Parts: sequence; structure tokens; C-alpha cells
Amino acid sequence: MDDDEAPELIDATALPSDSPSVFDSAPHRVPITLITGYLGAGKTTLLNYILREKHGKRVAVIMNGASTSPTALWTSANITHLRIWRLANTHSNFFSPFVAADIEKSLTVNQNGQEVTEWLDVGNGCICCSVKDSGVMAIESLMDRRGSFDYILLETTGLADPGNIAPLFWMDDGLGSSIYLDGIVTLVDAKNILRLLDEPAPEEHAHESHPGPALTIAHLQISHADVVILNKSDLVTAAELEHARQRISSINGAAKIHTTDHGRTPQIEGVVLDLHAYDHLSHLDLQAKGHTHIDPNISTIAITHPAIAASSIARIDAWLRSVLWDSYLPPGDCSSLASADFEIHRLKGILALNDGSFRIIQAVRDVFEIRDAENSRGDMNSADGPDHCKVVLIGRRLGASVTPWQRSLESFLHSDKNRQ
Amino acid sequence: MAMVPANRRCSGLDCENEAGSLQCPTCLKMGTDSFFCSQDCFKRSWNSHKAVHKAKSNFLTNLFPPNVVSEPDPVTGHYNPFPKYSFTGPLRPVYPLSPRRTVPASIPHPDYAIDGIPRSEQKFVGRHKITILDAKEQEAMRKVCRLAREVLDAAAREVKPGTTTDYIDEVVHRACLERDSYPSPLNYVNFPKSVCTSINETICHGIPDQRPLVDGDIINIDVTLFHEGFHGDINETYYVGDKARANPEAVRVVETARECLDNAISLVKPEMLFREPGSVIEKHAKSRNCSVVKSYCGHGVNQLFHTLPNIPHYGRNKAVGTAKPGMCFTIEPMINLGTHRDITWPDDWTSVTTDGSLSAQFEHTLLVTEDGVEVLTARLPDSPGGPVPMPMVNGEKSDEDNQSAQH
Repeated sequence: MDDDEAPELIDATALPSDSPSVFDSAPHRVPITLITGYLGAGKTTLLNYILREKHGKRVAVIMNGASTSPTALWTSANITHLRIWRLANTHSNFFSPFVAADIEKSLTVNQNGQEVTEWLDVGNGCICCSVKDSGVMAIESLMDRRGSFDYILLETTGLADPGNIAPLFWMDDGLGSSIYLDGIVTLVDAKNILRLLDEPAPEEHAHESHPGPALTIAHLQISHADVVILNKSDLVTAAELEHARQRISSINGAAKIHTTDHGRTPQIEGVVLDLHAYDHLSHLDLQAKGHTHIDPNISTIAITHPAIAASSIARIDAWLRSVLWDSYLPPGDCSSLASADFEIHRLKGILALNDGSFRIIQAVRDVFEIRDAENSRGDMNSADGPDHCKVVLIGRRLGASVTPWQRSLESFLHSDKNRQ
Repeated sequence: MAMVPANRRCSGLDCENEAGSLQCPTCLKMGTDSFFCSQDCFKRSWNSHKAVHKAKSNFLTNLFPPNVVSEPDPVTGHYNPFPKYSFTGPLRPVYPLSPRRTVPASIPHPDYAIDGIPRSEQKFVGRHKITILDAKEQEAMRKVCRLAREVLDAAAREVKPGTTTDYIDEVVHRACLERDSYPSPLNYVNFPKSVCTSINETICHGIPDQRPLVDGDIINIDVTLFHEGFHGDINETYYVGDKARANPEAVRVVETARECLDNAISLVKPEMLFREPGSVIEKHAKSRNCSVVKSYCGHGVNQLFHTLPNIPHYGRNKAVGTAKPGMCFTIEPMINLGTHRDITWPDDWTSVTTDGSLSAQFEHTLLVTEDGVEVLTARLPDSPGGPVPMPMVNGEKSDEDNQSAQH
């Protein structure tokens, strides 16, 4: 921009509400939803969902700098409430491979016929011992600068492994971040999904060198999903659609699946946004159907256990560390796992304690936490909470049977009692 | 930085007016804030102001346009490169920085010495196993950490009122070269100097410049050496002059930080969870009415300057992993008298407390042994500094023994 005419000054107060001062003790937290799925799987549908349902809300959409231009996509949307940024090359672990910091990326957005250039400020701050990923910090500083948004959508479509990205946004409460991970929404094209799962192109393989059926990016996107939007159902037969649903459900028995048909969408209040998938549990989460093994790679299993004493929580923690960090299932009293090579993608659980209180377990890959169950929204109170513990696991090579897992947890808890 | 001071001045040329909320749109796009009192003033200043837009990517280029830089002192030539920035405390950068120091080619350089990018660290992004060092590698770590301790001690001996942080940088740089070592901070992600010097409200990553130390300051000196393929990382906070040692607030924050590190180290042994030191650190800091900086963590250190594991210094964290014999990592709590929040100067490095309160830090490189821990950067019998007793409020020194162990 090298003109000799001074441009018009901009009134900062005309921008959305003042950003919270850095001196505030409790920053307003904005939910961020990771949108994943293959290109062409239906971003526009999803955006229309959100904008129609959340009319009047301010939605920020952040796209990987490497993805295709979005200008054609947004023209039908109510884009005065939409701000779109490209995230510039950063030292971030989830966007492009490491390149020198460069804040030159920009994006032109059609806004009611006017072209508006929106920048995403990416600092060159120290990455060396920062707790937060620099891409995450860039998004936070965006929120600080541009005022409060109601929702942030982060597009990670294409060939990204959501299991590497989710932990970056699932930050410790103590960090006081202005954003929090609400959940992962995966877009699935009903017409193509079975081919993507079974006959992937070389670049669609997940990076790994295990023998056996290929693990694809599509598998990872479904296994990590909290919500799956099954698009283009009108382009397939009823049987094909059911086939796709079952396959998805077999991979991830905990995700909610929403089918779209001719662009019509069901009531989606609270089912695509406001998921709280990482800090709450609902009954639906725990009604996961497990034990079907349609997919050769990924399955869902559910373990139950009677209510436990509070003193057993440390033992549960140790069991989770073994399973999630060491990929080692402590042997149960009789059965052992056929394959010792499993990999957990997502884990949710509820611990019912003898004193009537609850803890919830959340995990994605090797990051997990056990936290107090909040009783807001009436999710978990002793009246309608379960009277037993339940743990739902989604992952790879979990084995044909839930028994080794069930036995493992039981023995592990029991052996602690014997020791005392 | 979206810091908006209560009375902001117009950025216009020779304009003393207060600015309201009108901003240059180009600056906004670039991620900076330039306020002007009116469109007319903006137009008038345009020719000189637009030079700010031209030079963008390197923070040093912000120094060129005369209306953005304070007038150099006619005698010393010193100036503040960010005169319009809303500093959170009294500390100011004193430029110009001295010319970039060089390291002879005979001393092995880390990969980032060329263009600032630590590529070898990036290979390990994501899930990977933490490096376990064999006996030979552990010996190499022992050696570089011992050298780092020597260099830190040499720098600490220069700490007195009147010494500039640039001079400390010169001492560190020379001491590294004498030990056939590359000063690891130099050009790491384009850090311009060979050591980090962090004064008073500076939490970490302070850049050595022309500011002389003042009686009453506290200064953290953070040294890392790269010797025969391994990095050794250490820092300590020192008191400048008797005034600092007599200041109960300074002593409280410095000694609390020292003790926090000692308490954390006492946990280190095989099977320690990396999420645990944070609890112990936060608990002790709270007991002394101090806060813990959350943004920066301890880190693995070996053939790489910064690698896994990450070790947060605050409690209730989700850090992954368990200590095993042969692992090397740092613990480096940053403790503040006031808020835990940090903000970074426009130089993109210097991290300061958002309320300007004092901050102190201590760091060791640790090796997990079969049954415990070896503090590779331990203090030597003649190491300068060390704990000081809490001064009595009426000025007399307390006789109370300081409980912290001497590492």
C-alpha cells in the first residue's frame, strides 16, 4: 500500500465492544470449534447452519493460509457477522511447517459488495518455552484486538490430524485463555465417505508405518469428532446412507450424527455449537454404542464399573496414564489383549463416587484430565446421574472384545485395595 | 499490543493534542495502534507517518521514522526505541544495541545460527519419545552445564551499580568463546544477543542494552551454552547493591523464586509426573503471597535447546509424561509480587509483568538418575550470589537463617 494519499482514519470505538483489558481477572471466554473433514464435504452447509441458527451472533472463521480461497463460499451467507482471517505462516505446531515469521498474509472478503482486507496479526514472540502454541496465541490476540466474538470456527479441513490440533486448544484453566475448545465437528460427504475409508489415495493415508489396513485421515477425522455432519444425503440411496451412518457410528459410537438433506437442516440449537465437549458430559455421551466392528481400524468400546470410593480416583488416574501415555493395558486377571499395539484417540468417562458426587474424564490422545462434574444444565446430579462408572474409548486396535479392558480396570482397582 | 493508555497523545508530526479513538487503518492492519487527533493532522503527518508502514517485518526497522523514535540523547546517543509504548513499569530499553557479536567458525554452531530457525527442534513436534541420554551423552551434559555455571558466575561477578547489561553480554559472550562454546541464545529465533538479562519487572528474555544497573535493581541473568553438540541452561536472579538486599519486597520475590525451584527439584526422581512440580511451586508461591507466571515452562534440554518435556510451573495442569533415568530438562519458575500476567514489549522478546511488579526467576538443568536427580548446573563453592536473609523493616538485617538449600 504505497499511495500518497492519507487514508481515512478509523474510529476504534466503532469496532465491536471493547476487548477485555489484560488486567481483568476473568477474561470472557469464547468457544472455538474445530471444523474438520475433506474439502468439498460441506463447509457452506455448515456455515449456513450456523448463520441461520445464530443470526445476530458474531462468528469468526479462521482458515489455514494454505487452503483454497473462500470468497466464493460466503456470498450467500449473512457476512456482516462474519470475519474471516487467514492465519499467516507461524511457528505454530498445527499450521504450516516451520517458516520464518511473516505477517504479510491477508484475505479479501466480499462484504456487501465492498472489499475488505482483514489481517491476522501474528507476533514474532518467543516460541521456545511458551506454554501456548503460537497459532493459539495469534487467535487469542485476534480476540483481544477485534473485540468479543460469540463463536470461533477454525477450519482444519484437508489433511490435518485433529488429534494433534485439539490438545493445543484444550488449555489448562490456570492459563486463563480467552478461548476454550468447544469441540470438533467433522463434515462427511455421504457419497464419498466409504471410498475414503476403504480406498484412500496415497496422500489420504495417515502418517504411520503399521501393517494392516490403512488408517486414513478420514478415520482420524471421524474418531475425534464430537459431532458428525453427514452431508449430501440426497445424493445417495437410503441404503447407502444407512451404510455410511453405521460405519461412522461403528468408528465413533459417541459422536452425534446429523444428516443434512437437500440443504435442509434439522433444529441444531446446541448441537453444532455450544458443545462443551471437553468440559462437560451429557447422558448422550455415555450412551455410546460399542462393540460393532464394521471398520477394520477404529472402534468404540464402553467399560462399566460399580461406583467407587474417592480414594480410588488416584488409581483410575494411574490406569489412564498407563493406557494413554504408555499404550499399555495392565493385564486383567484372565484375559489379555490380543494386540498390544492399540492407540486411543478419544476417551470420555464418568466416575460415580460412593458419596454421590461425580467426576468426569476427558481425553484426546495422550492429554487427559479428571475433573469435578459440574451440575449446571442439570447434566449430572445424583437424581439422574448414573449409579456406576462408565468409560467410553475410541481408538485403534482395541480388540474384538471389551472383556480385556473391563478386566484390566477391575483388577487394577482391586489390586490397590489388596495393597492397603 | 492493544494497550490503550488513559491519555493518549496524537502520533501526528509535532502534535501535542490528545488523541481520541481515530486510528490509522494501515497500522491497524499491521497489528499496531497509531492514534491521531484528527483527519487533518493525519493528512499533515502522512508523509512521515507512512514510512512506518514500509518497514514492517523486522522490529528494528521501527526505529527509522523520526517521529516514532525518541530523540537520541545528544551526549550519549541513547534513545528509547518505543517512546509511544505504554510501558507497564519504570523500566525502559536503552538503545542502540551494540553490534552483533560473532562466533568463530571453529566453534560448532547450532542449526539456527544461520537464519534463526531451530529446524532440528521442529522435527519433533507432536507426539514423540523424550530423549534418554546414554552414559556418554550424560557426561557431555555434565560438561556443558558445568561450563554454563562458570559463565554465569563470571557474569554475576560484574553485577554492580553502573554496569550495563550490554557489558554483561560482552562478558558472557567472551566467556563462552573461551570455553569453545556457542552462546545458545544468539540468533535463536533471531534473538539479538548472547544472554538474557531481565531487570525488575522483566519476567524473562530481556535484551542486553545500554542501561546501567542501578542500586536497588534485581537482575536475572540467563545463560545457555552449546558445547560439543549439547546445550546447558541456567539462570539466577541477583541483587544489585545494598539497597536491593535491604528491600523486603525484592528479597521476598527473589528468595521465594529460589525456594520454589528448590522445592520442585526435591520432587525429581524416576516416575515423577511432569505435571507435579507446578503444584509444589504454586503452593509455595501462594504461601509467600506471590504469583506464578503461566506462559513459560520448563523444557527438555539436550542436543536441542528447547524440546520435550514441557513442565508447567503452575498447578492443575495436563502435562503429559513421566520422568525416567537419563532425561534432562529444566525447571525455571518465574515468580511475581503482583499479577501473574505477562505482556511482551514491541521488541517481541522482553516479557514483563502487566502491573509492573517485580519478578524473579531461578533455573537449573536437571538429569534424572536411577534413584533421584543430579543438578548439573549446581552452584560452586565460589559462585557469587546466593540467598540473603529477609531484612527487618526498620533497616536492620534479620538474623534468621534462610532455610533454602544451596544448590
